[in-house]
Amino acid sequence: MNTLIIILSPDFLLRDALIGSMLVGLICPLVGVYFVLRRMIFLGVALPQLSAAGIAFSFLVYRVLVGQHQHFEMSERVLALLGSFCFTLLGLLVLAAFARHRETVEARIGITYAVAAAATILFVALDPYGEAHMIDLLKGDILTATGGNLTLLTVVFGGVALGLFGFRKELLLVSFDRDLAVVFGMRAGLWDTLLYFLIGVTISLGVMTAGPIVTFGFLVVPPLTARLITRHMLTFSLVAAGLGAAAAFAGFYCAYRFDLPLGPAQVAVASVVLMAIASAQGLSRGIGNVHAT
Amino acid sequence: MPYVLDSKEESVNGALLALQQVSLGYEGRSVLERISFTVERGEFLALLGPNGAGKTTLLRGMLGLIPVQAGQIEYGFDRLASPPGYVPQRDTLDPIFPLSVLEVVLMGTYARLAPLRRVGRRQHQIAATCLEQVGLAHVAEQPFWTLSGGQKQRVLIARALAVEPEVLLLDEPTAGIDPGAAATIIDLIARLNHDQGLTVVLVSHHLRLVRSLVRSVIWIEERRVVKGLTETMLSPERVADVFGMLTGTE
Repeated sequence: MNTLIIILSPDFLLRDALIGSMLVGLICPLVGVYFVLRRMIFLGVALPQLSAAGIAFSFLVYRVLVGQHQHFEMSERVLALLGSFCFTLLGLLVLAAFARHRETVEARIGITYAVAAAATILFVALDPYGEAHMIDLLKGDILTATGGNLTLLTVVFGGVALGLFGFRKELLLVSFDRDLAVVFGMRAGLWDTLLYFLIGVTISLGVMTAGPIVTFGFLVVPPLTARLITRHMLTFSLVAAGLGAAAAFAGFYCAYRFDLPLGPAQVAVASVVLMAIASAQGLSRGIGNVHAT
Repeated sequence: MPYVLDSKEESVNGALLALQQVSLGYEGRSVLERISFTVERGEFLALLGPNGAGKTTLLRGMLGLIPVQAGQIEYGFDRLASPPGYVPQRDTLDPIFPLSVLEVVLMGTYARLAPLRRVGRRQHQIAATCLEQVGLAHVAEQPFWTLSGGQKQRVLIARALAVEPEVLLLDEPTAGIDPGAAATIIDLIARLNHDQGLTVVLVSHHLRLVRSLVRSVIWIEERRVVKGLTETMLSPERVADVFGMLTGTE
């Protein structure tokens, strides 16, 4: 109880980190809903890793062309965001372009993940000046979040949320029944591109803020949990976002209370909720079957 | 006598849909070549033919879902302002989407809603009316995927009606459905055509079901089409004679 009071107090030292991680927990599942519905979950593993490779690549290129960048400055974040976003969007567009060849989809995503992970390590190794700091950034060092970072996160994620809700009916129709969307005269490719853009922005910023593991966790786990307990599209999205934010807060509490690493604690809490709900549903179904017989 | 419509002189005046020397196919390969026919307003037309003949390809071409390789399709209505009502095969839709019956039907109203415009009271009224028309108003709040195959198909018809279309195009609406439910669906489609004057084009394998209801038939085989009146095209003698191969699929 004491820990909770400390965390919720306005002058809490890690307040920005708490708000930042809750924003990631809130917005990543809104995007993740489309990963689950379009059966693109494995993309959620590959893209954050690709985003990390983009960050490492942008720093390396900057060092080669301009010189050593300054740590903890806004220009560093802009540079990282640029690299992360370019790699994520490019990867997403290339993978989406081949999406029709469904028989090799897992292979392509697996290769993307392996190449991105290897490239990240190689890019970091080639940039010895920034290695230690870079590794922190790639892990998503949310505890060092500042007011400036938080403002950027709020503005960009706010835009993503507005885009997802504003164009909800178009994104739903293109995802659920693409043919009908085309019959209605909608340019399905353009709507796909908008969705990919929103996904790219969210993953880039999510990885920079909380790291690839947490981003992937929040992209997938809360939507899968929400899918078990909702029957409508709107409630599906809202429950997924709510679960993500709640898991981010509960994970933060556990990490602070028991001195655990923040990101893994948050993903663990979200996964425990998923397992609890899935088990309860399985149990209830089993009891129902017993009564029926 | 059935008649083959493949001349360039085929009239499009007053027709709802006119195909002139149209070739359709995929990735450069033609499935249908230089076909011509018209669909008149209020017509009830069945596209029939053996498996793989190109029935669905023709329907998709008429819907604008695949590009025309040659020739042209003329529409006697504004496709953007009033798109056709399309009922796909229900197993093409993914059950992972958590959608209620009402949400599925509301999708039909999206056709007339600009981006950023929200679904409002009017759209809900249209959806409710369409659900009543197909006899499923009582399941509006149920999850779509919990319905039977026949009910799902009727919901998809309601969704197509929510477009407020001039023409309804249905792809195998009775496929995989038990005979009782299939008869209900065909009766519903026939009522929409008869009572509301809605033009209907459907792909079907069920000769026996459609024989007594459709006014005209397009027979598709070997990349060509033959259009004729139902009583001529599907007379018992002709079915036995020309379409004998289909008796197993009835």
